[in-house]
Amino acid sequence: MASAVPESPRGVRLAAGALCAGFGVLLVRAVLAIPEDHSGLAPVVAERLVDSGVKHPVTAVLLNFRSYDTLLEIAVLVLATIGVLSVAGSHPRVWAPVAEEADPVLSALARLLAPFMVLASGYLLWAGEHAPGGAFQAGAVLGAAGVLLALAGYARPAWVTKFGLRVVISVGFIVFLAIAVGVMFLGGVLLEYPRDYAKALVLIVETWLTVSIGAILVSLFIASASPIEELRARTGSGR
Amino acid sequence: MTDALLVHMPALAVVVPLVAAPIAFLAGARWGRPVALFATALSIPVAFVIAWMASTAGEKLRYQIGGWDAPLGIGLVVDGLSATMLLVTAVVGFAITVYSLGYFAEQEKYRFFWALWLFLLASLAALFLSADVFNLYVGLELVSVAAVALVGLSGKRDALIAAMRYMLAAILGSIFYLFGVALLYGAFGVLDLAHLAAVLGPDVTGQAAFALITIGLVLKTALFPAHFWLPPAHSNAPSPVSAVLSALVVKGSFYILLRLWTDVGDPSYVPGMGTLLGVLGATAIVWGSIQALRQERLKMLVAYSTVAQIGYLFLLFPLVEIAGRHVADAWSAGVFHAVSHALAKSAMFLAAGAVLSRFGHDRIEGLGGLSRRAPVTMMAFGLSGITMMGLPPSGGFVAKWLYITASIESGAWWWAVVVLAGGLLAAGYVARVVVPGFAKASADASDADVDAGRLPKHMELAALSLALAALVLGVLGQPVLDLMVVGDPASGVIP
Repeated sequence: MASAVPESPRGVRLAAGALCAGFGVLLVRAVLAIPEDHSGLAPVVAERLVDSGVKHPVTAVLLNFRSYDTLLEIAVLVLATIGVLSVAGSHPRVWAPVAEEADPVLSALARLLAPFMVLASGYLLWAGEHAPGGAFQAGAVLGAAGVLLALAGYARPAWVTKFGLRVVISVGFIVFLAIAVGVMFLGGVLLEYPRDYAKALVLIVETWLTVSIGAILVSLFIASASPIEELRARTGSGR
Repeated sequence: MTDALLVHMPALAVVVPLVAAPIAFLAGARWGRPVALFATALSIPVAFVIAWMASTAGEKLRYQIGGWDAPLGIGLVVDGLSATMLLVTAVVGFAITVYSLGYFAEQEKYRFFWALWLFLLASLAALFLSADVFNLYVGLELVSVAAVALVGLSGKRDALIAAMRYMLAAILGSIFYLFGVALLYGAFGVLDLAHLAAVLGPDVTGQAAFALITIGLVLKTALFPAHFWLPPAHSNAPSPVSAVLSALVVKGSFYILLRLWTDVGDPSYVPGMGTLLGVLGATAIVWGSIQALRQERLKMLVAYSTVAQIGYLFLLFPLVEIAGRHVADAWSAGVFHAVSHALAKSAMFLAAGAVLSRFGHDRIEGLGGLSRRAPVTMMAFGLSGITMMGLPPSGGFVAKWLYITASIESGAWWWAVVVLAGGLLAAGYVARVVVPGFAKASADASDADVDAGRLPKHMELAALSLALAALVLGVLGQPVLDLMVVGDPASGVIP
């Protein structure tokens, strides 16, 4: 395998090594110079945690104090998925089973595990309120369940049509954005949750985000897995 | 009620395209078009109101998202610089949208264009307004992901390779930037730009962070010698995408550099950095122009012209370092150049795209008779060329004039020599297109060319209006010059 990559000349490798070493020294110096007491904004977060509607500081930062970052990060995920769908150019094939002939053992195991993975995902979502967890972790487990089912040869569910898939991919972002803008009509600024509803709104956002993150991960996996041959055929004859 | 609405304008600048993007995604190609047209049209009055707010306030305005004050929450900042960039984004964004209506006419292959395009505009607005170094990172990521996807939109081999290379460069740039942000947070414990400016001291960690961030952003801005990814990416993308990449996307990362080096810190924060950036900029001007002179394809020529024009932006840093902020107005020169280049370069790429559709190819030697076959496009190209060369009365002239004055007044005349030389070289590569364009079509070329029929009027007019805007900017540039320094801490101390 390695022989396929042409080796760079010795001089280039030495120069690259020297550059990396110098860079490393600079980084070590910079990191060592960081003051011992680097609590940063943690005390401020702890102080204002009661106003956030949740009990876990990470969730409070992600979904309330810095929810704008999270909103844009979800936009990154949706955007990346659109990018992959656009490049893969095979919308109808997305969600087609990856493996044509499924292994019966894998198939049975996936069938057995999938409900538990959905359950675990739900638990992680709920736990995020007071312990490490939340939409990203829950969505990752949900996505893993989807990937497992696809590998085991289960075709996409009938309700996932072209349009349905686009809805599932973007619903988390849309709900989040709708709430972000909706609270402005209650007299607040963008993403300003009314104190009493903060917990409920955070939970609604997280639930829909979980669904979308799961769908996005599965779509990224399958969209980039299935049409490789087609892509290769297209790029080979391109131009 | 109107006051209440005014307060939310900065949020609306981001929200309008951000709401439109998923609608376009769900609605598909057919309905994506009116959605994009409506959203980009709406963005123009929003940007004007924000500019008006900035200039009447005369100082930095803030909008605290979620109602959380900095440093806990994330703020949006409205000052002359962000308002100027938003205005350019809105104007260029709308013109490219109008052009794209014709360019991507009902092609199922490009059905994701509208969603990607609206996401890109939303992320540029988010980036230009952000007052937080980490949020700027998220904005940068959004911009890069959207831009990479748009480069690969055609799915052709060269476009996919260019997109891949662009993505690797962009990711590397992001990693450097993020590393710098982590060091800044470790050293100073805040992410908000104003808070950072207040506590920034002569600190090794802080200097290393600024250096890392600069490396990352230089990669993303394609400053020489990190420009390698730009010509293939910008020339293989569909033309409306090429236009937005050269006009706005590279300005996004440049904008962050500007914020950090002239608003949070100053160019002397890391000794030698200002000069280094200036030298790279000067090399970019010469190298990019020479490469542009050697290209055989029109879009490659225009892309290398972008490499050269990016160089001018970076002359700002050494001049501000030597002369201080407004002793001689190098800062305004740089920002004004960013604005006029955005208008002129988008016009140039849109014109090049029109040439491609009209001739079926973009080989420069085969462009004889362009002025007869597509006079409006020819005019758009020629007028934007005037700004590239920096001839009066264009916006490019004003920017170069300010640069030359600044370098002579501060005694660093050699930067003025580079500016003048760059103008001459630009005249050379613009003439390579314009001169044969006015000539008669050569006999062998005319029958080989496919006459792809008339172009929709609105496509040619979109290119022409951007070129005219770049030209008029030279005559009516004073309001823009006044706007962009609003809220700048140094603008009050003109001697």
